Amino acid sequence: MISISRISINRGETLVLQDFSATILERQATLLSGPNGSGKTSLIQAIAGTLPISTGEISIDGANPFLAKALDLAKLRSVAPQRRTFSLAFSVAEVIDFIPVKERADHWENTLELLGLKQFLNKKVTELSIGQQQRVSLSLSLLQESKFYLLDEPFSAQDSEYQIRILQLIDELRKEKGVLVVSHNTDSLHSHFDQELHIS
Amino acid sequence: MRRTSTYLGLIILLALLFLLSLQIGILHLDTSVFSLIGKRGSVAATTVWDVRFPRALGAVVIGGALGIAGALAQGIFRNPLAEPTLIGLSSGATFGTIVGIATGLAGYGSGVNCLAATLGTGLAAVITLFLAPNKNFGFLLTGIAFSSILTSVSGLIISISQRPGIQSLSFWNFGSLSLINFATVRVITPFILIGVVLAIALARGLNIWSLGENTAFYMGMNVKRFRFVAIIAIALLIGPAVSAVGSIAFLGLLVPHVVRLVVGPNHQHLIGFSALLGAIVLLIADLLARAAFAPHEVPLGLLTSLLGAPILILLLRARRAQWVSE
Repeated sequence: MISISRISINRGETLVLQDFSATILERQATLLSGPNGSGKTSLIQAIAGTLPISTGEISIDGANPFLAKALDLAKLRSVAPQRRTFSLAFSVAEVIDFIPVKERADHWENTLELLGLKQFLNKKVTELSIGQQQRVSLSLSLLQESKFYLLDEPFSAQDSEYQIRILQLIDELRKEKGVLVVSHNTDSLHSHFDQELHIS
Repeated sequence: MRRTSTYLGLIILLALLFLLSLQIGILHLDTSVFSLIGKRGSVAATTVWDVRFPRALGAVVIGGALGIAGALAQGIFRNPLAEPTLIGLSSGATFGTIVGIATGLAGYGSGVNCLAATLGTGLAAVITLFLAPNKNFGFLLTGIAFSSILTSVSGLIISISQRPGIQSLSFWNFGSLSLINFATVRVITPFILIGVVLAIALARGLNIWSLGENTAFYMGMNVKRFRFVAIIAIALLIGPAVSAVGSIAFLGLLVPHVVRLVVGPNHQHLIGFSALLGAIVLLIADLLARAAFAPHEVPLGLLTSLLGAPILILLLRARRAQWVSE
């Protein structure tokens, strides 16, 4: 369980989130919605442990994301940021191998299949389109064996076919894991989620 | 396949260059070095085994160290131009060395001297990292600025020091293998070997690190410890090398770039290939330094700069999609 209790987040001088509380359960998919600039990404980064909170408390299965060891946190939550910069010309296969097969989550083969990565394993990741790069980045997060998956705007650069495939992955994932998905566009998504948290 | 054959080719090239380094020099040998194996006493044998052999060995050890250090520095600072001489690490090492010698704490080639240079490198890295406003050009420019400060202070110390012979140490600004002997090689090699072991241990993490510190943290890496160990490794590679031969520019910048073009960016291959190519380039540079203007020897750091700087400019213009700017 991820419990968020009365947190506030500041970015510089700006208050981006105030007195926010929520509970995110395992075996559930939670949709985090809200307009641009409402603090969705900030909330994900706070749960992930990379953006400090000013007040309140966050715990992931009892662990404090700002104090626990990186290795322990990695087993509790996996994060797919909105953007990842691929600065070196690794092949897609090399990026996937960042997580060795024996450490991967059970659903890894299905993930690569649905994200359509198998057809360009030998391509350089720097030569892919933004949407393709985003899928490589998403696969890296989903391959990590963890209890909760925090996905920031996983649909944003995808065409309708891949949006559907990613929803399929979320449907599979929520049978065993906790999933938190940020999306500013929630039309037609509701049936895939057990809970919606709306920030305004 | 391609990787294995490249490895073999480079090893053979290294062996040939090593033999050539024993054969060629100011003293002309009438026979081949093979006929001197096991012989002692003659002028030719002394020249080959007591002068050229440690010098060639030093070139291999130091060239390898500089190649790996360049790969590590570019990886850990996530900057394609983070080259040890450019960002002030070599100046840190020079500073450490000269302080050691000027204060009389350590003579040239001693273990204490090597340690002082290692500490100087590590400190320069930490201070540059602390002062830099950002990870890209801010970091580079901070490194360049801090490097000039260290170089100037080192020059000042040399100018005012009463210690006899210290003036000759201005070769540190250019780099030369002419002072190296067996004792020096014996002192620096253990330091460098520890650096190599650390570099190999860091290789897989550096791949993940290239996606950013946040990703590294999300995937379970202890970011602060990782960066600290990498800086220690770089210091153990650069410090001893500079304490022995001065700062040799551009090698650490160019070698990893060339290797990436051939075998790709995976650090698990980059480290080994950079070591090999670094050793080869330094052997060639030293041969050129001795032979190009014979009987005069030119500082080989001048040659690496003269060859390296134009290649850097070409690299900046070409990029070849191997390192996309952030």
